[in-house]
Amino acid sequence: MFRFQSLDEDCTLEEEEGLVEEEDEIDQFNDDTFGAGAIDDDWQEEHARLAELDEQVRDGEVSVPPTVAPAAAASSPQPSAPPPGLEERGGGDLAESLARLILGTDPAIAGVGAAGLPKRAELPPQHKTLSEALPARPPLLLGYQQQHLRMGTAPLQVNSRSIWDSIGFGPVGVTPGLGPHMEDSSLLSIIKEVGLPKQPPPMRSDERRDLSERVPPPRSSSPVIGSPPVRAVPIGTPPKQPLSHMLNQQIHCPTAVHVRAPIPHRYAHPFPDRLSPNTLLNITNSPLCRPPFPGGVGPVLSQLQRAQLLSSQVGAFPRAGPVPPLLPGGGGGFRPFFGQHPPRVGPHIPPNHGPIRHNTTHLHPQHRRLLTQRLQSRGDRGGRGCERRIRDPYSNLMTQREKDWVARIQMMQLQSTDPYLDDYYYQNYYEKMEKKQERDRDSSSKKEHTTKLITPQVAKLEHTYRPVQFAGSLGKLTVSSVNNPRKMIDAVVTTRSDDEEKREKQVWNKRRQILYTVEKMYSLLLEVQDFEKKFIQTPEEQRDALLDQHKNHTIQLYNTLREKEWDDRVSDEQCLMIMSVRKGKRLVSRLLSFLPPPQAAAVVMAIARNLPALAKKDKQDQVLCWLVEPVSVVVQSLSSSALTDLLQELQGSEGQLPRVLQNKFGVTLLYLILSEGERMQSSDANCQLMDDNRWTELVFSVTRKLLEVPPASLSPPLFTPPNLLSLFSRYVDRQRLELLQEKLQISALSR
Amino acid sequence: MMNYMPGTASLIEEIDEKHLVLLRDGRTLIGFLRSIDQFANLVLDETVERIHVGKKYGDIPRGIFVIRGENVVLLGEIDLIKECKRVLRPVSIEEILEDQRCQQQAKQEAEKTKLQVAPESYLQRALGANQVVIVNLSFHDRKRRRKGRFSTRS
Repeated sequence: MFRFQSLDEDCTLEEEEGLVEEEDEIDQFNDDTFGAGAIDDDWQEEHARLAELDEQVRDGEVSVPPTVAPAAAASSPQPSAPPPGLEERGGGDLAESLARLILGTDPAIAGVGAAGLPKRAELPPQHKTLSEALPARPPLLLGYQQQHLRMGTAPLQVNSRSIWDSIGFGPVGVTPGLGPHMEDSSLLSIIKEVGLPKQPPPMRSDERRDLSERVPPPRSSSPVIGSPPVRAVPIGTPPKQPLSHMLNQQIHCPTAVHVRAPIPHRYAHPFPDRLSPNTLLNITNSPLCRPPFPGGVGPVLSQLQRAQLLSSQVGAFPRAGPVPPLLPGGGGGFRPFFGQHPPRVGPHIPPNHGPIRHNTTHLHPQHRRLLTQRLQSRGDRGGRGCERRIRDPYSNLMTQREKDWVARIQMMQLQSTDPYLDDYYYQNYYEKMEKKQERDRDSSSKKEHTTKLITPQVAKLEHTYRPVQFAGSLGKLTVSSVNNPRKMIDAVVTTRSDDEEKREKQVWNKRRQILYTVEKMYSLLLEVQDFEKKFIQTPEEQRDALLDQHKNHTIQLYNTLREKEWDDRVSDEQCLMIMSVRKGKRLVSRLLSFLPPPQAAAVVMAIARNLPALAKKDKQDQVLCWLVEPVSVVVQSLSSSALTDLLQELQGSEGQLPRVLQNKFGVTLLYLILSEGERMQSSDANCQLMDDNRWTELVFSVTRKLLEVPPASLSPPLFTPPNLLSLFSRYVDRQRLELLQEKLQISALSR
Repeated sequence: MMNYMPGTASLIEEIDEKHLVLLRDGRTLIGFLRSIDQFANLVLDETVERIHVGKKYGDIPRGIFVIRGENVVLLGEIDLIKECKRVLRPVSIEEILEDQRCQQQAKQEAEKTKLQVAPESYLQRALGANQVVIVNLSFHDRKRRRKGRFSTRS
């Protein structure tokens, strides 16, 4: 990709004025570029000093032409220090090829500044204008904003000695003329035509200070926590052009260099994991796949550099453990070409000699054969294209390295832990082919071996996150990272057995049914309640109809309650069912007032009969007492025989009365009945209450029970009718009366 | 050329060739492919935007294009030999732009009439709008899910 610094609209290309203007602002950016620790030396002196050193080194041995640029001293404009690239053209072949070689071979060397070859040669006149233009460029570099300028295979020499060169290029990176490569002249021509790319817009002064402190804080990476390893550069960044030999520079001026760590140091990860195309490139490409050089210069790496490279390679090698070994010529795993140790770089590597070096996809051998055939045929065609390419001035803007890089990314995407999942059709197709071949082979009985595809698979690494736990602390630390995102909800799956589920369902169904019945009754009840209102509103003619309707409703209501067979008896079952729900109780209490007396009486009977059960069910709701009022109304309207019956019902089964007495409602009901009886007796001389002994007996038993029952289990009633005392006085002797009185706390005035 | 991914259609081999690129907005660009990246972002050199109307076409020189990969519909290498045998007639830019404008106008009018005929018909309207209708036929069979790999297996 082209590295124009800003692609904004006003990127005018005739920018002499612009460049000149910004010369003044260059110093403003000094701190930004070089950091707070920039030493404000006289760069010229520094440069001279170092250049001398260079000369010594150079003369002494065949070594890397040093980069003469302490970052501190490299204040931007260096008008008289010719851009090294320019000089190279005039310089010795040895020097420039060396420079190129080193820069090309060792990408690990985070370059700082340009390879200075000062005082080497005359500045070629045609480059003078450019060199003048160049210094005007501020060395300001905004990191990843800058892309790399492609210049064939030869690396660019950067004029600026900014410390940010290790990340990318300085904006000045347009040094033309790097030797005999034709592509370089293309760049030169580009520059001539187009001018230098526009500088980034100058920043405001208030932002100036912030830039130098813009370094992000160091990120921690912990395998325990599970965070991904910290990368010097993000995985997706394109390869940077390997710059000059920081190494030598370090040797010469160890103090003043602010550089980032060279890349191989960072290569400490297991092989198939978290690889970036860059690291791969660095390792595999570094000394080895440079394009051919003229002159056949041997590799000139210092011992240190060589050791570095080899160690990084070697270091990577054993870690490739999980990947199975490279099959000879066949479907290899994803590995760089460790298996093939190419000869040293120096000798000429034929450019189009394409053994498939990087077996990164597990291709079926048949497939591979087909493809190599195709490749060869294409290779024949490609020869003709070469001529055209030579004439194309802009060709090869994308270096081989970059192409490799893109290819590597694409290859990485093809790694598969489960080929049958990812590439189903391919696998199947070749399986079928193999089977067919076997069949054919058997039939034809040839001695050919059918080549089988053995696909190596990238090992699936499972990293389970174990939360960090400190000794002696409660609980565990939860640190969430990319690989183990935070668990927000601790959802536990509870599975119920079938039986339990059934039971639960049944219970729910029953309840739903009850509620449904209650709802239906309610709607009827509401109709009944609203009858009066409606009656008033309807005209005369329709009143009969309404009346009929009303009767129907009430009948219906009662019907739901009553027994199937008996008309005058309320079904216990139904009653219980309905009254088990709170709403049902409410319903009944409202209902009672609307039912005709005999039916109401029947309902009350049922209640009395089932009181213990009802009481038990009512424990949660405690709403039985809603019933008191309507029930009392009903009781007071009862006939004596009905009353007696009621009392009997209340005492019905054995042990019922005590339970009744335990319940508030029960006690209240009892009192109601008794008081009603008493009232009857006292008011009406002709009452039939005494006609049979039932009433008397019942009352006797009641009093007995009342005396027997311990006070604790006697629930206080809602109210105590006043005439109970007179009632009891009829039936019990004085002593007992007093006892009762005490127990029940009834007095003549009690209410 | 090193062939890292045999059988795949990597753009790497297309570099420095003349290509025709069709963009999602309908533009046709012709230029030399200079650089690519993993997203298939393209750098086209000496780009020319070619407008086709009927049997005529007109070229607008555009210079250098950087195209974001997601906007590319397709691209293909131009056979320089075949290119010489011109079937279509080149015209000037003004003329072709004028022709294009007329074409667009005609299209719009056609759409309008379609809407008038059956305004409720959603499908008609959609088709009348002349948009690309993307029908997503996805196979839910897990096994047969292909990974996105622009390969041509023989």
